[in-house]
Amino acid sequence: MDFSIRAANLEDCKDIARMIMELAEYEKVSEHVKVTQKDLEQDGFSKNPFFHGIVAEVPEAQRTKDGHVKIGYALYFLSYSSWKGRCVYMEDLYVMPEFRGKGIGKALMSKVAQLGMAAGCTQLNFTVLDWNKASLDFYAAQGCSDVTASLGYHVMRCEGAERGEAWPNTIEDRQ
Amino acid sequence: MDFKIRAAKQEDCKEISRMIIELAVFEKMQDQVKISTQELERDGFCSNPRFECQVAEVSEEHKSSQGYTVVGYTLYFYTYSTWMGPTVFMEDLYVMPEYRGKGIGKGLMSKVAQVGKEKQCTRLQLTVLDWNTRSLDFYIMKGARDMTASEGWHALRFDGEALDKLAAEAPKD
Repeated sequence: MDFSIRAANLEDCKDIARMIMELAEYEKVSEHVKVTQKDLEQDGFSKNPFFHGIVAEVPEAQRTKDGHVKIGYALYFLSYSSWKGRCVYMEDLYVMPEFRGKGIGKALMSKVAQLGMAAGCTQLNFTVLDWNKASLDFYAAQGCSDVTASLGYHVMRCEGAERGEAWPNTIEDRQ
Repeated sequence: MDFKIRAAKQEDCKEISRMIIELAVFEKMQDQVKISTQELERDGFCSNPRFECQVAEVSEEHKSSQGYTVVGYTLYFYTYSTWMGPTVFMEDLYVMPEYRGKGIGKGLMSKVAQVGKEKQCTRLQLTVLDWNTRSLDFYIMKGARDMTASEGWHALRFDGEALDKLAAEAPKD
């Protein structure tokens, strides 16, 4: 199947928002998604973007039954390791179910790796849920390491309220 | 003990490098530290910095046995959640052992939360090693949830040869 991988632009935010919801539904957490198409446009395409995106597109002849030609995406940003320096973090990698098994996910991830290395990064980091065996197997087959399993790293999170609402100024001890 | 939390300056990179190694020694991974003071200066104090840093400073009369007045630091950067929007990741939080228990760690972490709020962040994330129960307890007391224990999130990584190989397979533009 022919497909192309390219940098996301502002007009892609509608399809990226759609696919973010599809991925959240797959991860069983769609009620947690607060980011809208407008948020993506503002956060990803302003002067100091919080993230970068790449999309996978197929020709019109292969569009989905709903008429979509943008059928996969990866969303990433530059991060930092105080031990290794510049890194890249892949926040999302998604391919619509009917387009899987054709090398599109691998192509998207490879592109993130290439772009990261071009920016001086020596690590590509991301997270996967432990029950998501298909994804864990996919990533392991590409040669990644699971630093939670091997080194014991736990992901911790302090969450404020909904986006746009107050976030604590101080981290107070719980009673 | 009085202490001050302030944004790091380029001149602080030497002390930050020292404390990065102290933290790595504590985490039993000193051999993993490859970064130099020059890289920190380049990446943290250029026109488009890759990270921000806050340091904790005490007065001369409370300097350490080796003469240090910069006794703690936190290194963090802005990230993005496709569910919640802008977030902040706290890469390191460290206070020299003899200065612990005085509110300095909490002061540094609160500063990160405050700075994150100004950037519209709704979430602060970090990682902790599972054997580091003292730090796990510290963060849980501050309201953090262990997403690995509660929801099964695993941190995965490509580096070295595996990253080179992956990048080499990227489709041509």
